[in-house]
Amino acid sequence: MSLTSVKEYFTPDGNEEVLELLKTYGDGALIVAGGSFVHGLDARNLLTGIEVLIDIQNLGLNQVRSDSAGLSIGAMVTFAELQQVKEIQNAAALGAVRDALNYPPVQIRNVATVGGNIAAACPYFDLPTAFMALGGVVSAQGPGGSREIGLEDFFAGLFENSLETSEFVTGLILPLLPARSSSAFLKLETNANDLAIINVAVRVTLDKSGLCQEARVVVGGGVGETPVRVDAAEALLQAEKLSDDLLQRAGEAVQSELQPMSDHRASAAYRSAVAKTLTERALQQAVARLK
Amino acid sequence: MKKLITLDINGERYELAVDPAESLLQILREKTGLIGTKRGCDSGGCGCCTVHVDGKAVYSCMVFAHSLQDRKVTTIEGLSQGGELDPLQTAFIEEGAVQCGYCTCGVIMTAKEFLATEKKPDEEQIRHAIAGNLCRCTGYTKIVEAIKVAAANR
Repeated sequence: MSLTSVKEYFTPDGNEEVLELLKTYGDGALIVAGGSFVHGLDARNLLTGIEVLIDIQNLGLNQVRSDSAGLSIGAMVTFAELQQVKEIQNAAALGAVRDALNYPPVQIRNVATVGGNIAAACPYFDLPTAFMALGGVVSAQGPGGSREIGLEDFFAGLFENSLETSEFVTGLILPLLPARSSSAFLKLETNANDLAIINVAVRVTLDKSGLCQEARVVVGGGVGETPVRVDAAEALLQAEKLSDDLLQRAGEAVQSELQPMSDHRASAAYRSAVAKTLTERALQQAVARLK
Repeated sequence: MKKLITLDINGERYELAVDPAESLLQILREKTGLIGTKRGCDSGGCGCCTVHVDGKAVYSCMVFAHSLQDRKVTTIEGLSQGGELDPLQTAFIEEGAVQCGYCTCGVIMTAKEFLATEKKPDEEQIRHAIAGNLCRCTGYTKIVEAIKVAAANR
């Protein structure tokens, strides 16, 4: 890492100290959790002018709590730690998170954190796509106290989140979903360390008669500045029985709705075609988890 | 501005003056002389720089040295016990799993953590476990064999 402009590395012991540092250094401060994407931001010239790094490992943000509201995950919880959480391992509703955590290599899982993965607002990351399908809500701390922001509002653009410079991410809440909810995630990558060419996360909730009460279809990886929800596909599934034929049509809706980009990883046409197939397969997987 | 950090590397206590953005890889190679850990891509894509922090495999190029106050680091130099090579190191030699050797230390450190948790891994599990380490020589076959042998020989 070059980061030659960095003059100081802080490891504060409490939220107040973090807020004080953010106040002092403003845009010149970068909050560091696991640190595994700092080089990625640096390589994209997004860290010019960063003077200080603020390491938040000593704030006690490494807890996962499960209660009637859902799953609260501290910003410093690593991917590997999240994999050990009982609900993540077992719940059909959290299947998309389980799937997404299985892609990165162990060296990343041991270091990368939930908070860092969200705060980076990188549209090629995996967990944000999965979290969006589950209606994830970000917890942030600022000088005026804490607040919660839905992920769709939190992601403001390419590598941009909607926090003020005086605020930082303290965790993520995955709201408890109704019974008969299930989710799944799939990704196309060239190797274990690659960002997504395309990733897809879906979530369905069935009613007592087996009809789809609610559906979410989210696609990431070069389809927009943030992961995107595909309303047309969600609407197709709404109030319907999730037959194989319908799942296929949902995939086709994704293909026709998306306007992906072309880059060195893949062409727009290829991304669209893959998104269609991954959507159909992810929906099949989610439905299978309810059986 | 350099600040002092204290950490344990291979069972020895080190006190080092470290720049704010220096990586663990940098301090290992440039400040402690432990050059068994290799610098490959320096951006978390190749696995050559894999070491353990508190027993967990990490890319040392991505870890800020200042995040490691009082932590325990193990490098490839720390695997041998009483002058005896680790069974993984022996298996890599005997199975011919080393060609140019540049990726080897990283692969062994990854395999070391993996075998600590998986007692009887099958081939698919081994290949998944080392997915974060690139080798451009062997085609992985002999690496996978060596890890299988090391797992069986314990």
